[in-house]
Amino acid sequence: MKMKKNDKNGGNAILSVSPLKAITLQPICLLGLGLAFWVPSHICSLDLITHPSQTLRMISVFLAPVVILLYSHLRHDRSQCSYVKAVGRGLLALPAGAIVNALGATILGAPVGFKYFPKTFHWSLLMSLLTFVPAACVFGSSWTDWHRIFARTKASESTDYMISLPAHGAVIGAWFGAWPMPLDWESPWQEWPICVTYGAIAGYLVGLVASLGCIIFCNRQQHLKEE
Amino acid sequence: MDSSSVTCKKLTVIAVLAVLIQVFGLALFVLGFFPVKPALSGFSGVESFYPPGADSAEFQNITNLSDSQLKYLYQELSLVPPLFDRLILMVIDGLPAEFVLGKDGEPPPKSFKEAMPYTQSLLSKGRAIGYHAKAAPPTVTMPRLKAMVSGAVGGFLDVAFNFNTQALLDDNIIVQFLKVGWKLVMHGDDTWLKLFPGMFSRHDGVSSFFVKDTIQVDQNVSRHLVDELSRSDWSLLILHYLGLDHVGHLGGRNSVLMVPKLGEMDEVVKMIDLNSSPTNNNDQGRTLLLVVSDHGMTENGNHGGSSFEETDSLALFIGPTNFGSTSGTPNKANQVDLSSTLALLFGVPIPKNNVGMLMPETFKSLTVDQQLRLLELNSWQLLRLLEAQLPGLVCENFSCDNFRDDGSERTRGYSSLEETFCCLYMKAADLHRSWKSGEEKRSASGDNCHSILMAYHNFLRTASEWLSHRATDKPVGRLIFGVAAMLVSCLILLSLLFLLGKQVFSEQNQQFPSANNDLSWWHLDEVFILVVIVIVVISMGSSSLVEEEQYIWHFMTSSLYLLSLRKVMQHIVTRTEQNTSATLGLKTNNYIQICSIFVILISGRFLRGWHQGGVNWTNLPDISKWLEQGGDTYIKLFQLVSVIILINISLVSLMWSRRSKKNFMTVVSLMHLFPGWLVLHYITKYQDVAFSTGSYDATLMAQVIYVVLGFCSTTIVVAVPWCIPFQNRTLSAPEVQRKAWGLCFRDSAYVIGLSYVYYWSLLQLLLQQPLNSMPVLFLFLQVLASIWFSSGSNQHRRQWVEVAALYYMGMAGHFGLGNTNTLATIDVAGAFIGVLNHSTILSGVLMFIITYASPMLYLLSMVMYNSVKDTSSFIISEKGNIGSLLKRTLGFPCLVPLGMNSILLIAYTIVLLLMRNHLFVWSVFSPKFLYVCAMTVCVCVGVSIVASTVIYISLVLTYREKLHTHTD
Repeated sequence: MKMKKNDKNGGNAILSVSPLKAITLQPICLLGLGLAFWVPSHICSLDLITHPSQTLRMISVFLAPVVILLYSHLRHDRSQCSYVKAVGRGLLALPAGAIVNALGATILGAPVGFKYFPKTFHWSLLMSLLTFVPAACVFGSSWTDWHRIFARTKASESTDYMISLPAHGAVIGAWFGAWPMPLDWESPWQEWPICVTYGAIAGYLVGLVASLGCIIFCNRQQHLKEE
Repeated sequence: MDSSSVTCKKLTVIAVLAVLIQVFGLALFVLGFFPVKPALSGFSGVESFYPPGADSAEFQNITNLSDSQLKYLYQELSLVPPLFDRLILMVIDGLPAEFVLGKDGEPPPKSFKEAMPYTQSLLSKGRAIGYHAKAAPPTVTMPRLKAMVSGAVGGFLDVAFNFNTQALLDDNIIVQFLKVGWKLVMHGDDTWLKLFPGMFSRHDGVSSFFVKDTIQVDQNVSRHLVDELSRSDWSLLILHYLGLDHVGHLGGRNSVLMVPKLGEMDEVVKMIDLNSSPTNNNDQGRTLLLVVSDHGMTENGNHGGSSFEETDSLALFIGPTNFGSTSGTPNKANQVDLSSTLALLFGVPIPKNNVGMLMPETFKSLTVDQQLRLLELNSWQLLRLLEAQLPGLVCENFSCDNFRDDGSERTRGYSSLEETFCCLYMKAADLHRSWKSGEEKRSASGDNCHSILMAYHNFLRTASEWLSHRATDKPVGRLIFGVAAMLVSCLILLSLLFLLGKQVFSEQNQQFPSANNDLSWWHLDEVFILVVIVIVVISMGSSSLVEEEQYIWHFMTSSLYLLSLRKVMQHIVTRTEQNTSATLGLKTNNYIQICSIFVILISGRFLRGWHQGGVNWTNLPDISKWLEQGGDTYIKLFQLVSVIILINISLVSLMWSRRSKKNFMTVVSLMHLFPGWLVLHYITKYQDVAFSTGSYDATLMAQVIYVVLGFCSTTIVVAVPWCIPFQNRTLSAPEVQRKAWGLCFRDSAYVIGLSYVYYWSLLQLLLQQPLNSMPVLFLFLQVLASIWFSSGSNQHRRQWVEVAALYYMGMAGHFGLGNTNTLATIDVAGAFIGVLNHSTILSGVLMFIITYASPMLYLLSMVMYNSVKDTSSFIISEKGNIGSLLKRTLGFPCLVPLGMNSILLIAYTIVLLLMRNHLFVWSVFSPKFLYVCAMTVCVCVGVSIVASTVIYISLVLTYREKLHTHTD
């Protein structure tokens, strides 16, 4: 317990992500997401509606390096953790987060079966990239940080905002995205996991923008205080 | 206790009053919205050719007549030879009469008129008579077909009470035709096959499901036409064309497809008419072609409501020869008139519940005598129906002095409804009698016979109007009053809940000032509970969401528990962080909570996957279908396993009860074990035979199980509060005694609650279809897990949230057991287990038990929920006030379900009122409303059981305590 507290304090002392860095990182992230969407549809002519599984895989493949490499720059405990180690943590968290997301989705009613397995699998990889991987890259296995970010949603500094808000946005967006599924509009996008993916991406984008706003706002507040 | 707070007594009285108001309002509304008319059972027979009141004993000997003998008997008795021998009933779905006959004296639109040259020529030649046959709402196919063939405007409850079967059980013209030996053939909409299963010798049903298909659906009917017209073996040929309705749904009245479709229909009419004309071949007899539509359509092609466009349906009689003198202007009639007209045209008895009057223009070719006879027959039938609906209708009681008055004053001169009918009838009958007596003289002038016809028409029209309005008119005052009563009761219950919540909150603040911060905030899960209610209420307005309601409940319940999981996670570390020396108990509490949430979530997911449910996606794979494919042995295995696991879990949980005498616990365990064993025995030995042959042994065994379950539960409820030992008897300090009292209360509530839940689950395992045994086990697990979960959380969750969560789980489980909002999923087979003589009441009760298995289980679990809530600290501080204890323990578990149910009830009632003209009002909204009503009954029963049990326990304990102090 004490170790963890020290850890956190130490981390705080070492780490001071300048808002500038955050602001530059976020658009890159956004760009990566856009690229990940653009490439499958325009180069491989894959569509989320017609080939949900392949498209989700392509998106994950493009998004994964962007997210992992970017967020590893923001790692918390720089003294003990090299950049490579942070990347490794991110890679490890990808399947772990995918399992948690897949379980959550299944419990909320995602269909189960061999037919749906690839879809659920690829969707949960994407969700893991949006939620768990950034946190793993930054915090590693620090239970207090994870708890602070995900259970209590208390963000105290700019990195926290950058992780917490988009992740929550993605989850809430996915939750709302599931709403049209039982309606009888007979549209192809009502299938699992298409509208859920759209919802998650939309929520993530909203979260990104909100976190950007929060960072700028907090920074200004801090400056005001310092003055 | 401060003066502003509500006392227990007041609370109870107001709550009971609110529930009574609710039930009263609901009853008013239901009776107003679904008028129950006393329908006559059975089928019309020979007696319909005699005046009402004739001795029925002489009709008994005709029951063994053959079809053809009956036919000749009818002909003999009716005194009028049938006008036609064969009937071709051509139903064009959704065709407004305007398209053929025009509106308000105007001819139909030119393009439509030109599209049907043959039909128009028949009309102008006088070989066809067209009617604007006004249809009653709901203008949807099935009720309209029923109205046409039975002549009755059906109420919804008639449909609802024929669970599962859509077959028309009332007297109708089709059955009358079948009785006189007609052979029936049907091609077209398969609604006919649902209405008259097994009555057609040849049929080709098409489904109206694919609305986008306007061509094939009609070709499937027309392809049989050449063959059928060449045959002479049938007497009734029904052709039901759906294409025109589909055209309307796709493009509205002025769709480009409409004109070709009308042309196609005209071709069919032409083909039939040319084929059945008398010059062709005479062995087939005289054929009547009756072209009807079941309803019209709006400008956009929709239907269901009561506008003129929708109710304007067509009835077009096309005979082989001219119909006699007919005026060119189209006639007006009601759709229900078709049944009596057909019956009289073909010389069969008029269906018993017919409210229509004959269409006089079709009988013009008959002599005046014969016309009068037919009017007399129709009047007798309507008079019989009037006598059934107005019990005080005895025509001898009225003098009717003024019946010689002018015929135009139909109703003015009479004081009561009964008198009106009687006098109108007797006037016609008297005139007819005098006409008959004077018949020999042949002196009757045309004027005289006209006045008789007028008198009969007056009576028939008045009676028919009154009878059909009785079925469709909704008494507005009654509806408004009912809704208002429900609204008032809902508001009362909610304000009680609010008061109670405020009071409890302030008390908690006094007791635990440290937790103040934690309680004053609205937590996410509390907000979510309210959000769920709002979402459910909103979703009720959409017919597709009503059909697929299970998705909402499953999704919301698991989301709620995921939120709870998050909340538990929050507290886990705060505790370990804040004081590392925190007791181990709190930590294990947290782990118990997390585990129980996982049990709830996983069982919930299984329940969701067990039945696909709903209406639109029922064909998707689910666990129950998978098991059915696996075969009976697997199902049986699952069933046995679930019974055994259920027994074991209940025994283990019984041991989990804290302190009790060993002997006592042994007895209780035996009382749990024995019925369990009985059910196991029943399943292994009798279940297969129970459905197939209804063997006596199986019924007896089931009855034995009912008795044993009833006996065991009553014994446990009555005896346990007396037998649970008081702890610390020797210590006389009042505080310790209060604590002992509290422990004793909790123990007995635990044992009784567990027994309730266990016995209820056992009963379900016996009654539910074998596929549902595993879901029942999952429900039981969920109940236990949620009880564990609430036992772990002391102050961090408000009580009402936990109770509301239980209620939600009950709803999710309701759908998990395969129930839907259609009446088709009610398990009728299970309702006859252990019922020897078909008793409607007993079967109804069993049906209710089966259908409301899950909500009731959760309501019963409230007793157990009471036992795990830590009331001891509260009891000590309250200085032995039993009233306030009851208020604290019972207040939320009773008021929250009542309040929630009242919200859903009032919301749905308003939705139903708003949707009364919706296309799906009968198929979607009304069945759902019946479910909501039954849910209200379920909540009331469950809450009263819980309340009386807890009150009983505390009274007994208090009495024992007093006894104890006295003996000391």
